[in-house]
Amino acid sequence: MVAAAVVLLAAPIAVRALPADDPEVPAARLLVAAQASGTVAYSGYVESSGTLQLPVTDQFSEVAGLLGGRSRLRVWWRSADDWRVDSLTPAGERDLLHSHGLTTEWDYEAERVTTTPRSEVRLPRSSDLLPPELGRLVLADARPGEVSALGAETVAGIDAAGLRLVPAERQATVDHVDVWMDPDTGLPLQVSVFSADAAAPDISTRFLELSTTMPSERVTRFVAPPGVSVDFDDVVDVAGAAQRYAPVVAPRRLAGLGPRRGGLGRGAVGEYGRGVTAMAAIPLWENSAEPLREQLARTPGAVVEADGSSSLSVGPLELLLTPEAFDEHSWLLLGTVTHPTLERAAAQLARRALMVAYP
Amino acid sequence: MIAVELRKLVTRPRTWITIALIDALPTLVAVLLALTDIGPRPGTGPAFLSAVLSDGTLFPLAALAMVLPLFLPVAVALTAGDAIAGEAQSGTLRYLLVRPVGRARLLLAKLVSVVAFVLIAVVVVAVTAYVVGALLLGDAPLSSSVSGTALTQQELAWRTALALGYAVLAMLGVASIALFFSTVTDSPQGAAMGALAVLIASTLLLTLDASQALQPYLPTRYWLAFVDLFRDPILWRDVLRGVVQQVLYVVVFLGAAWANFSTRDITS
Repeated sequence: MVAAAVVLLAAPIAVRALPADDPEVPAARLLVAAQASGTVAYSGYVESSGTLQLPVTDQFSEVAGLLGGRSRLRVWWRSADDWRVDSLTPAGERDLLHSHGLTTEWDYEAERVTTTPRSEVRLPRSSDLLPPELGRLVLADARPGEVSALGAETVAGIDAAGLRLVPAERQATVDHVDVWMDPDTGLPLQVSVFSADAAAPDISTRFLELSTTMPSERVTRFVAPPGVSVDFDDVVDVAGAAQRYAPVVAPRRLAGLGPRRGGLGRGAVGEYGRGVTAMAAIPLWENSAEPLREQLARTPGAVVEADGSSSLSVGPLELLLTPEAFDEHSWLLLGTVTHPTLERAAAQLARRALMVAYP
Repeated sequence: MIAVELRKLVTRPRTWITIALIDALPTLVAVLLALTDIGPRPGTGPAFLSAVLSDGTLFPLAALAMVLPLFLPVAVALTAGDAIAGEAQSGTLRYLLVRPVGRARLLLAKLVSVVAFVLIAVVVVAVTAYVVGALLLGDAPLSSSVSGTALTQQELAWRTALALGYAVLAMLGVASIALFFSTVTDSPQGAAMGALAVLIASTLLLTLDASQALQPYLPTRYWLAFVDLFRDPILWRDVLRGVVQQVLYVVVFLGAAWANFSTRDITS
């Protein structure tokens, strides 16, 4: 009886230890397949973990939780405009459902439903941690010379092909990114982001269960439970609000980085760089900037300069908050670029950001 | 033999005092919620506690989430730890075995008695919480899953029944560990402490990233997975793993208890 139990316990470990079949697909072909996998429908269960301890304020707490802890996600992805991602917690769940350009958030514990329109500018959210989304984001602008094949690994029962991306930019703080993908569809199944000298990934996300059958339409629809009101917000978060209302236009180029391809049109928020070497400049109202400044002052490792700017380096992520720059606004600069790059960007913003009238 | 053990269980005041103590915490929480109308902030309370201010009929699940991590396992460990070691400590074990009673049969009778205790404890907690929740807390049925989709009262009822059954199975795992220790020592307190040490170590290891490889095998890993029964669609992944894991714990530790008890020298 005990022997049978031991066999039962050991069986899954033995199965997992079996080597995966290497499909031996060239790296360049894997890259193209991953970049073109946006039309693949899927559903599954994902676990992600991050080690980036960011300062927590009301407006950034969700980002801090995503990048600095473990997340359990369920996903049903019919298309880029029809999906549902449930972020599971021990006592409930927070769900994002996207359909027809509107995103609905259901928070069970708060009994709250909030609908927002699609926003071209927003902070990271749970859906960005899905391996296909994160994988395509980091590989979007990758060049064939930056990638190499890694062999194979079993992910969610699939013999996944590995691809390593080593960014070429001198400003990059990401050392490399390992992406494991389904060789048939190109769908990224596991993504691990490493900063220089890191033995373990700073951010890692992987499918534990996956199906590439088209999910049912019913499962991505949401009807608010009786007695629960639906709020409508016209901005999704503090970054969306800045893009819409801040009386400034960010420069086209900043600190030697060009505008991100496929990124924003010109607006208050600037997105710069390529692939995993990315930087964003967000003008924050002082009522958002001040709590962040206070939190940074209390965060171990954060540096407050004589001019009042605060900066923090966590893994590959660099963050710099300027002192008040214009009309009760400060610039929040953050990205996977070196600290001198952010300092240069802050200096240029002080000279080159274009003030406009309030919309 | 089984009837004797069951009679002993239900007529012993200690059984009902223990169950009353387990019941006291959720009842106190219900009274406090009813008096203050202040629920836990999102992400801070046990599962379902935020919802009971609207729908008191969900309180059995909230009560289960409150007692399952600590109160219930402590009570089960004390009861199961006492099963054999208690007889040995009071000097009645050898007299029990002098009668034409096989050791396996005695162990089975003790096991049935512990199972009965687990069932009674879970059912009493659930029924008390239902009554208290219906009387003191919200009366606007949410009738929704954790995912916000509509559930009929029948769906809610069978999912609740599954959750209670799952909790019973989780506690049987604890009972098996304690029963094994009860066959190893003549001290019921030592047996209970042994089982609780396993559970505390398991809970501690679950918080360590370095122990990730071990975590799927830790006895407390899937205890609170009953919440997944109230998602839509139901997330069976952890529930099924929890069932298999607890069955394995029961098989292994009961097997070890039987092997040890059937071969040991009875001196007290």
